[in-house]
Amino acid sequence: MKIGYRGFVVVLVVSVMFLVTGCAKKAVAPPEVEVTPPVVETPKVTTEMDMAEMVDPEVEARRILDQEMAEFENRDISFEFDKFNLTPEARKILAEKASFLNANPGVNILIEGHCDERGTREYNLALGDRRANSAKDYLVFLGIRPDRISTISYGKERPLDPASNEEAWAKNRRANFVILNK
Amino acid sequence: MIRKGMIILVLVTLMAPCVFAQRVHIDIQAQSFKKFKIAMPAYTGQSDLAASLWSSCAKALRVSGVFDVLDPRGYITTAALAEIAPGTLKDWSLIGADYVVTGAASSSAGNVSMTFQVIDLSTSRKILNAQYTTQQGSAYRAVHAFVDALLESSLGIEPLFKTKIVAIREEEGRKQLYVCWPDGTGGQTIRGGGNLVLNPAWSPDGKKIAFVSYWRNNPDLYLLDVASNKVRLISGLQGINSAPSFDQTGNHIACTLSIDGRPELYLIDLATSGRVRLTDSWATDTSPSLCPGGNDLVFCSSRAGSPQIYHMEFSSKKVRRLTFEGGYNTEPACSPKGGLIAFTHLASDRQFHIALIRTDGSSMRVLPGSGRGDESPTFSPDGRLVAFASFDGDLYVSDLMGVAPVKITEGGGFQEPSWSNVMK
Repeated sequence: MKIGYRGFVVVLVVSVMFLVTGCAKKAVAPPEVEVTPPVVETPKVTTEMDMAEMVDPEVEARRILDQEMAEFENRDISFEFDKFNLTPEARKILAEKASFLNANPGVNILIEGHCDERGTREYNLALGDRRANSAKDYLVFLGIRPDRISTISYGKERPLDPASNEEAWAKNRRANFVILNK
Repeated sequence: MIRKGMIILVLVTLMAPCVFAQRVHIDIQAQSFKKFKIAMPAYTGQSDLAASLWSSCAKALRVSGVFDVLDPRGYITTAALAEIAPGTLKDWSLIGADYVVTGAASSSAGNVSMTFQVIDLSTSRKILNAQYTTQQGSAYRAVHAFVDALLESSLGIEPLFKTKIVAIREEEGRKQLYVCWPDGTGGQTIRGGGNLVLNPAWSPDGKKIAFVSYWRNNPDLYLLDVASNKVRLISGLQGINSAPSFDQTGNHIACTLSIDGRPELYLIDLATSGRVRLTDSWATDTSPSLCPGGNDLVFCSSRAGSPQIYHMEFSSKKVRRLTFEGGYNTEPACSPKGGLIAFTHLASDRQFHIALIRTDGSSMRVLPGSGRGDESPTFSPDGRLVAFASFDGDLYVSDLMGVAPVKITEGGGFQEPSWSNVMK
């Protein structure tokens, strides 16, 4: 009880000190700044078409394709620890990739299989190979010609996130998709 | 380049290593084996050189797995001694020493000379008196020659420092082959081979190293001729070409290929490049290690749902599961002397450890290891020691009890050691 009381006194004294210093700081008046009201620009109303908006439809199509390709490459599929079977989420992403590949028959891809850092290198190299092939097999099942899809395993050699925690491991257990002919 | 890297030209003149003692047969594999205690007073000679050679020697003795060096702070005489006066032997046995080692270092014209004397305190006799001369930069080779002579004369153990360890070293984002002596000295990176090299394995004659490289943007198998630095592709099939392991003759390599859609074990004839498939299962089969005798191999397979160690006899193709403890057992290595298998085991403390098991699957033992998670065990050619990598990237050498593994590298970035045979 005595210690508790003493502790309370210490806390009280410290808080008072903070209060005092806090007040002291407040006492210094900040330099006054003149606030100017923001200028509100009224949009120009025009019936004329802006030159910049006139785009070549080919360029526009290319822009959309580039965007789709970037999306295709940026979206990985995930796996559970020591597993290479496809989750419903992974199947959904792969089905979307299949529809892109069907719409763009000239595109060939590489699927990279990756693992998290847990477990050994040789085993993870084999596991990464199975993950890449799981993804390939499903795309082939959905009608993509197998010769359009290459696979490579990086095992645990190319983590997306080098941290050692569940979040990083989940990110690293993945198949990553690369378009070979952009 | 490779010549400089791999073959360190050392001049070791063995000035009559007088061996007085009779060889005593001691079963150093026995669980009850207690390490011999060595008292080693400071060496005489130029102080920096003497101190650095003393440290090298203490480490090399500990790496040998049969000697412990007593802490000099416990010595009765703390002075540097070139030899032990006959009347003072009791001072050393009193503090529990089995042997007393003295050394004298001198240097001239870019050479270092080391004289070592060893007294066996159980018989009060000098068992070794030898002088070694080396070039300045490789003075540790004098220490190696001495430790090998002591292992040979006191215990009849085959030379440790005529073997090497190859590993993977990661530097500036590149993974390359790295070769060093078993105490970590003389380390050299073997340049070339691409930016991502994995799974190195020594050929039995120590002249070649099989490894995986992504040089052609696929994990392919290559063979490096160490002396000429020439590399040849062994297997570059679609899918993975990984986990090489030589047979005793050096004519065949067991490995993992996924040309048929999933990772299976194969045996490749290096002369004809012909391959024979060894496994056929829905599961992931990898990490073959050919056992001495050439009749069988051990490997890792997930056919029971989790990676476990299996044994296969070549003639019958009969497969037997060896590990039942723990849900993650991989990377088996057969002892070159037979009888034991070392592997990587996810233990009950949720850390990876090196574990040992008999070839019949009995008597599993988990080594305490580095405490940082251990993987990739490899046996010394005499089967007495294992080297392994810690998850934070350093190499360790341990005896089979594994109580005090010796860290042989510094700074991390080291993976997947493979121990050579004794090199001619």
